[in-house]
Amino acid sequence: MWDNIRRIVSYFSARAVLLLTTVVVAVYLIIIIANMGGYMDKIKESEIMEQVYNTVRGNPALQRLSPSELRAILDKEIEIAKRRAGLDKPFFPWRSLEYLARGITLNFGRAERMISDSGSNQVRLILLERLPHTLLLWGVADLLVFFTSVFLALALSRRYGSLVDRVAVALAPASTPPIWFYGILFILLFASVLRVLPYGGFVDAPPPKTTIGYALSVIKHMVLPVLSVFIAIIFSSLYSWRTFFLIYSSEDYVEMAKAKGLSSRTIERRYILRPTLPPIITSFALMMISLWMGGIVTETVFSWPGLGRMLYEAIQQVDTPVIVGANVIYGYLLAITVLLLDFIYAALDPRVRLGGARRS
Amino acid sequence: MRKFWVLLLVAMFGLGAWAQVRNGAWVDEVVFQVEADAAKGLDMLRTGAIDLYWWDISDPDLVKIIVSEFNYAQLAGTYNELTFNPYGPEFKDGRLNPFSVPAIREAVNWLIDRDYIVSEFYGGLTAVPRYFCICPFFPDYARYADVARALELKYAHNPEKAKAVIFEEMQKLGAELVDGKWYYKGQPVELIFLIRVEDERRQIGDYVATLFEQLGFTVTRLYKTSREASPIWMRGDPAEGQWHVYTGGWITTVVARSEADNFGYFYTPRGSGSPLWQAYKPSPEFDEVCEKLWTSDFTTLEERRELMTKALELSMKDSVRVWVVNQLSYQAYAKNVQVAADLAGGISGAYLWGLTVGFVDPATGERLVGGTLRTASSNLLVDPWNPIDGSNWIFDMTPIRATGDWGVVFDPYTGLYRPQRIERAEVTVQEGLPVGKTLDWVDLKFAPEIKVPEDAWVDWDAANQRFITAAEKYPEGLTALTKCVVYYPEDLWSVPLHDGSTLSLGDFIMYIILRWFDRAKPESPIYDEAAVPEFESFMEYFKGVRIISTDPLVIETYSDLWYLDAEWIVTTWFPYYPQGPGFWHNLAIGIKAEAAKELAFSADKAQTLGVEWMNYIAGPSLEILEKHLDEAIATNYIPYEPTLGQYVTPEEAATRYANLKAWYEKVGHFWVGSGPFYLAEVRPVEKILVLKRFENYPDPATKWLIFAEPRIPTAEVTVPAPVLKIGAPWDFMVEVTFKDQPYPVEDMDFVSCILFDAEGNLVYSGRAEAVKDGLFVFSIPASVTATLPAGPIRLEAAVVSKVVAVPSFASAEFTAVK
Repeated sequence: MWDNIRRIVSYFSARAVLLLTTVVVAVYLIIIIANMGGYMDKIKESEIMEQVYNTVRGNPALQRLSPSELRAILDKEIEIAKRRAGLDKPFFPWRSLEYLARGITLNFGRAERMISDSGSNQVRLILLERLPHTLLLWGVADLLVFFTSVFLALALSRRYGSLVDRVAVALAPASTPPIWFYGILFILLFASVLRVLPYGGFVDAPPPKTTIGYALSVIKHMVLPVLSVFIAIIFSSLYSWRTFFLIYSSEDYVEMAKAKGLSSRTIERRYILRPTLPPIITSFALMMISLWMGGIVTETVFSWPGLGRMLYEAIQQVDTPVIVGANVIYGYLLAITVLLLDFIYAALDPRVRLGGARRS
Repeated sequence: MRKFWVLLLVAMFGLGAWAQVRNGAWVDEVVFQVEADAAKGLDMLRTGAIDLYWWDISDPDLVKIIVSEFNYAQLAGTYNELTFNPYGPEFKDGRLNPFSVPAIREAVNWLIDRDYIVSEFYGGLTAVPRYFCICPFFPDYARYADVARALELKYAHNPEKAKAVIFEEMQKLGAELVDGKWYYKGQPVELIFLIRVEDERRQIGDYVATLFEQLGFTVTRLYKTSREASPIWMRGDPAEGQWHVYTGGWITTVVARSEADNFGYFYTPRGSGSPLWQAYKPSPEFDEVCEKLWTSDFTTLEERRELMTKALELSMKDSVRVWVVNQLSYQAYAKNVQVAADLAGGISGAYLWGLTVGFVDPATGERLVGGTLRTASSNLLVDPWNPIDGSNWIFDMTPIRATGDWGVVFDPYTGLYRPQRIERAEVTVQEGLPVGKTLDWVDLKFAPEIKVPEDAWVDWDAANQRFITAAEKYPEGLTALTKCVVYYPEDLWSVPLHDGSTLSLGDFIMYIILRWFDRAKPESPIYDEAAVPEFESFMEYFKGVRIISTDPLVIETYSDLWYLDAEWIVTTWFPYYPQGPGFWHNLAIGIKAEAAKELAFSADKAQTLGVEWMNYIAGPSLEILEKHLDEAIATNYIPYEPTLGQYVTPEEAATRYANLKAWYEKVGHFWVGSGPFYLAEVRPVEKILVLKRFENYPDPATKWLIFAEPRIPTAEVTVPAPVLKIGAPWDFMVEVTFKDQPYPVEDMDFVSCILFDAEGNLVYSGRAEAVKDGLFVFSIPASVTATLPAGPIRLEAAVVSKVVAVPSFASAEFTAVK
């Protein structure tokens, strides 16, 4: 018993350290890449100079100063702007390590350029304001796709070669176009031509005054993005799950169960679903944490105020604290999920042992 | 039946009368939302999902749709050019830089075909050729249209001439042409083109690069975004030769009344401290001209004309920049919508958009009252709103402007100021300065000397919170170049604010303290070092301010700052801050919050303190501001009490704070204005904002209806006969119309006519005389025609109106015979 606990704790600790190291390395790489290895400082300095020097144009008050007076004023402005942008300290090693330390300890602080929708520069608020919208859209869409495809695939795998199965297989290439393609198509069809659904956004403008009215309006705005995600993914997802279940359906123990005369439902539940649960749960868990990143293009096509668009803006503006904040959370979520999945595998599948079997 | 007609008449007159007395905005509500995709925005406009899409569109395909299907505003504030690295002739590593030679740069004007660029890359719709650093749509171009047109013809596309000049200069530099390739010291002459990729500058860069390849140069094309290119061309050392040509782009967001300083900015080291600018070496003659225009060192308009003429000519000879196109962008709105739009900044740049926007009956063109105007743009609520140093994004400034009011407003079509809340102004200018006036509301005088009165306020003592007078700071006396006296109307103190308060003198005093002084003083609890540079440049010209009378309000301002237009010299001190309207009581709570280091007006200070950038409309700032409002109510706080306490009574303070509290409870924000709309709803995450009509706005809705559309004249020139005899008098008729109606003479500035010979040389120019509304005659006496050459002659007329800055052109051709 104690041996088992010690083995599990030791395994857990080793995995945790390994995963944490991976997260730290990944985040530091992101910091370096986002800042172009420190070259971003030069870009920011140029932008500051450009902005400050532009103020001279069309400003007779500045133009009537002597060159030295003008230079002194502009230099002061540049210095203030550079200090504000943190450019008074070198990127390597101090600022890069400072970003890392703050990110890893979840002390995200304040953004360098970005402002949350409500006007706050706290990275926490920048992320949290967008989170509910992303969870709502991608949560609904992904859960719909996941459960529909798993259950339909299971049913199809039991009807291998039937007309329904052949139609489903034939439709698999329909998932080739990306989500945004369907998005634009549906906007064209339902918003532009038929005029029955909105072009995008989160809610009607101006928003309805009542809670029910507001909720209904949000649902109306979700129809097209959810439909786009669903149509773009469902067929390939269905096809891959069907193939996956088919492989398990032809296992010897399933044939044996059939030979024993067990009902289809029992075979599905006990002999197919049970052993396939670990990969299904893995897929489900990874899907859930992917919600954190939202979808850049889809959110843009539908003007959906989600995390994907926010992250895209952060990358465009090279707002390192926001980029680090979003990625650190994703990294931690991924690491925790991977760690938990190890335990879940062991619980679900008796063939899996944490820490490996002791060799005799 | 008679009853019916009577009733109908009563109803009609009733409606008419109602429209007459309608105050403020024409529409009841304006809704803002975000749609970043312009194609989708136009589709929303087409299906009626929105009425106005106020983001600039310059994609030729989309512009074709706009022109054919919608009403639109045209913006001319963006322009592209080729920036040359002038260092040389050799870079530090010995490579040759042909563009160090002015003649080669000048030849690029002949090399490139601007018409081809316009038609090929801009679909002929979204750009016009541009040759100079002054905008072809702004007043300076109109003033000197004859000079400009002559130079445009001189520098028209002429590749053979370009080739001849470039080849000659290259040989002078010691380069050799071997098998069609240029070599210098045994190495191919390489030109590095830094090509921007975000817009049509990519095609322009490729086109020009190809032209140089065809001339035998080895061209390396570096495709870069703004960010990637900036450290190379703006910050890099030109001597290192990292680039030769950069495809530059610039923007002007309001109609510039004077662009004389552009020569100093674009062609001399005065414009910028950047290493590139410091490498500029204009000829001494050009440098002197640029300096005079830069510092406004001229005393008459004739002298200015001479300087501008020289500057235009010499800038083409210098050509460290070769101007290529002036872009035209479009903002689209439904056919049943009318709105004022700035010629440079469009609808979003027009201060009067809120007062002019409205629906019209498409059949009759009659203005309709009421309705909800739904708008979209590519962004909204980008940065926090606070009047002092909040969001400066055009997406935010557009709704902000509709919530505010001004002492004077920008005329969107001429860039001149017009009186809004003030009644009139008197401007006195020191003799010898070339200041003129266009509009009647300004009374312009000249004086040999302008003394600043001893009791004028010239500075601010932040420690003791009181103004410093001229007598204290300048006991030896002080003079100024200009004096301006503004007269407000008698009913000024009944102008209502959105929260139920009325305008008071305290708002003006607060404005004087807060706009320039207090935040730049280290002794102030709200000192912000980011405010210091602006304050220092302000103090270079500010000489004093004095309240002459409080009821009606009369304010006198002394300054060394002057402009060609007296309208621009007027300083009103009306409480509209750089980023929006503000009044002493709602600013007081912001001051308290910043003094307590809980919020900061500027992004810089917020960053330094590690606090929130103050937001009057949403987010965590609101809670802090509410706390300070409650404290202000409890203590009946009057900010800057030693000074403001003399103008604000405790009763006024109590009423104002009670109004603000009730306002916050009603609308959930602290944004208080006095404009035609109030901020009714803010949904930051959804990016939706609703403005509602402010019913108590004092002015009639019709006040600025004259700006509902730009009255750009259409011109047509009539030649008396296709063949004209030299030595006889010639009379040419110039017809000027707007929408097929004669253009009133009183609205016309001038009609200038220019004659060019077959080679494009200017042979004669002059002004046409007004005959009647819509008709001008350009007469050339026999004594002059006798001196003109025989052969084909082209007559060009430049028509300039007083009400729209954009000049119109018309031309006709004839043959002169002996």
